[in-house]
Amino acid sequence: MTLLVLWALLALFVVYPLGTLLLKAFVGGDGRPTLEHVTAIFGEAHQRRAFANSLLLAGLVGVAGTVLGFVFAFAAVRASLPRAWSRVLDVATVLPLISPPFTTAIAVIFSFGPRGLVTYHLLGLRDVSAYGLGPTLLAETLTYFPIAYLTLKGILAGIDANVEDMAFSLGASRARVFRTVTLPLAIPGLANAFLLLFAASLADFATPLILAGNAFPVLPTQAYLQITGLFDFTGGAVLSFALLVPAFGVYLLQRAWVARRVYVTVTGKTGPATTIKSLAPWARWPLLAGCLGVSTLILYFYTLLLYASLVRAFGADETLTLAHYANVFTAGRKAIHDTLIIAAIATPLGALYGVVLGWLLARGRFAGRRLLETLSMVNYALPGTIVGIAYLLAFNDPPLALTGGATLIIAAYVFRYSPTGIRATVALLHQIDPSIEEASRGLGAGSVTTFRRVTVPLVLPALVAGLTVVFIRSMTAISATIFLVSVSWTLITVRILENMTELSLGAAAAFSVLVVAIVFVALGLVALALRRLRTPGAPLASVLGG
Amino acid sequence: MATAGIRLEAVGKRFRDRARGEVTAVREVWLAVEPGRFLTLLGPSGCGKTTTLRMIAGFEAPTSGRIWIGDTDVTGRLANERDIGFVFQSYALFPHLSVFENVVYGLRVRRWSGAEIDRAAAEVLALVGLTGYERRFPSQLSGGEQQRVALARAIVIRPKVLLFDEPLSNLDARLRVHMREEIRELQRRLAITTVYVTHDQEEAMAIADHIAVMERGDLVQVGTAEDLYARPATPFVAEFVGRLNRVPGWVVGAEGGGLVVDVHGQRVHAGGAGLDGAVLLAVRPETIDLDPAASEHDSAVVVSRTFLGEKIEYTVRWHDLSLLVCGWDPIRRGTFAPGDRVDVRLPAHGARVLGPRR
Repeated sequence: MTLLVLWALLALFVVYPLGTLLLKAFVGGDGRPTLEHVTAIFGEAHQRRAFANSLLLAGLVGVAGTVLGFVFAFAAVRASLPRAWSRVLDVATVLPLISPPFTTAIAVIFSFGPRGLVTYHLLGLRDVSAYGLGPTLLAETLTYFPIAYLTLKGILAGIDANVEDMAFSLGASRARVFRTVTLPLAIPGLANAFLLLFAASLADFATPLILAGNAFPVLPTQAYLQITGLFDFTGGAVLSFALLVPAFGVYLLQRAWVARRVYVTVTGKTGPATTIKSLAPWARWPLLAGCLGVSTLILYFYTLLLYASLVRAFGADETLTLAHYANVFTAGRKAIHDTLIIAAIATPLGALYGVVLGWLLARGRFAGRRLLETLSMVNYALPGTIVGIAYLLAFNDPPLALTGGATLIIAAYVFRYSPTGIRATVALLHQIDPSIEEASRGLGAGSVTTFRRVTVPLVLPALVAGLTVVFIRSMTAISATIFLVSVSWTLITVRILENMTELSLGAAAAFSVLVVAIVFVALGLVALALRRLRTPGAPLASVLGG
Repeated sequence: MATAGIRLEAVGKRFRDRARGEVTAVREVWLAVEPGRFLTLLGPSGCGKTTTLRMIAGFEAPTSGRIWIGDTDVTGRLANERDIGFVFQSYALFPHLSVFENVVYGLRVRRWSGAEIDRAAAEVLALVGLTGYERRFPSQLSGGEQQRVALARAIVIRPKVLLFDEPLSNLDARLRVHMREEIRELQRRLAITTVYVTHDQEEAMAIADHIAVMERGDLVQVGTAEDLYARPATPFVAEFVGRLNRVPGWVVGAEGGGLVVDVHGQRVHAGGAGLDGAVLLAVRPETIDLDPAASEHDSAVVVSRTFLGEKIEYTVRWHDLSLLVCGWDPIRRGTFAPGDRVDVRLPAHGARVLGPRR
């Protein structure tokens, strides 16, 4: 029964919209398959450039973010940092993860724009442009490198310290141990991090919209403009499909290459970690300085954002004022209200859906299990722009005219951001020996008691992970849902973007600060609740990793 | 590379622990291993044996004292400058390298030529019985095979000393016995000075020339297995090496450098001196004899028994004492059943006084 409902939901909110998008892009007016839309769109040099630009940007962000993430991870795992320092790294890396995706982009404008703190005030430059490849690359790298950091931190921490010690005892120098042992063992992680960042950048919509400018078009923004500016739904569909090609390629690469190359430690038991680390004492300082520099840059950006939200007009009239916040809570009140309601509904739904589906996937035996698993991951794997456009196309007309309503936004969040909870549940249940549940039954507990007293507490961390991720994304996401908002339902993130285009930067900053604050408080509450429940696992890092 | 002795001079290790504050892992250990000898460090977990081994290897820096390998003071040197072969409990095989590349890692570091490397690898793989496994990866090997690769990798560089950290604890019982014989045999053939950490006293006795027993960071006794068993220096050693009964008695005299102790009317000549009054004796289970009870008076009752093939173990209740007694060749010599009444005969010689009874 549950299964049937899940199949129906996935068919409705995953298969159907994607199918509609396909039809739109590849079927002509006469109802026959055609490539004419594709050739029409990519006949324009501008669009071909957007395609190339997207790949270039994604590749650069992938490389830069992976390198930065590795440096951070290496420092965190190997440099035996004092506690206070690692707190700084933690905060600096967690901030971009929980912010609306264009927060850094806004701060880049405050810092390096025409009236920017650095460019205008410090350097006295006139007529600078904060737009184009460079600034977009900077903002996206800072926004997404924490994903690489979390991935690589896990990989590096998972390398048995004895293996490095062993190489040492065989006479290898530090550099050689790094080159022949540490690095090769981290390669699957590096490749994985690169692919994750590549996909994230490829799908990123908000940063290029603010920073890329006309000179550097990329696919997601082109698709958006095609639809909102020209009302060309077919063109939007084709452009978003072009996005799908490299995205799918990345997905295949990840499955085919990386998944096979995860080195597991051969035996479970590992010895004590060595105190003479693989890091030479002299190498520690430049490494730390680099990390601290980047962390400072991030913290500086957020401080700038906070400051800009508290002055009348950043760069021109810097008298302190709460006017922007007053504006946020009056004119922006509807957006806040709508966002919170949508998040409040989507969060428990998404988390529940994640745990139930995860439990079925891990413990259930039924036909089509693999298909169900794949379907549940589709919306998560696809760039948000595609999902948004697909939903827009699919649910625009009766009988399923859901566009503009809260239902569709909630559905978008649930099916797009639950996979973290699903995967966490599956992973947890795979670690938990089924004999634990059997043991409970063996002790005379009924299946209901077993589920309540054993299974539920065991998957609690996954439930919390699901709740947290869906909530954060409900507060911060924009790429899919910008196509789904309307007069009756709008979102904070959409308001921020509108403010940016209207050049009311102070209000945009105030909204951003508000979102970061709400998410931060929520995360704090989750951490507190977890500690209270004494639930092992599910540290925040793993929650945010997905 | 010629093998070399190892000397520890007042080596100690303290570290700060977040929960426990200042912790002394090893307190002033003096130890010498002659070139070519095989020494085990034996003790319960947390006694500092692994820390000591890791300090010899150079994975940990001692907070006091000096470490010598041969004529060289290696205290300040890192592990890669000490010329050691190390075998980890987890084997620590390089998971991304084939068996061949694992084995020759140290040779590549030493810049041997390709032909030399091939020859040395073939030789050492033959030595550990893994010829033909060159192209496999660690994850494709069984526990015993992984163990051999780890061993081959450590000895192929002809280290000055060979160090083992509980190398057999991940293997099943039968394989463990087999591997320890192989290690012993290999060590004899190569004559490399070896230090071997274990918490298993049987393994220690089987494999080593000398055993060093550690307790809570202190080295309490060094000697051959026989020394430790027959003449334990402390109650801890007596109890940790082999099994024993703690039997209370009264000193009634001294004779020939030992004490005469009365235990429920039986006279026992026990090693020890300088004590008077109530004492505790250490009596090994196999030195106690049981006979069918001659009379109700002074007899004991068999509480339980465990038949182990070549021997049988009884727990008997004698006065207010519970004694562990071990009898050999039980099939031919007959056994007692639980509830049987028996006479207990303590050994006239060979027991040791543990100390005063409190």
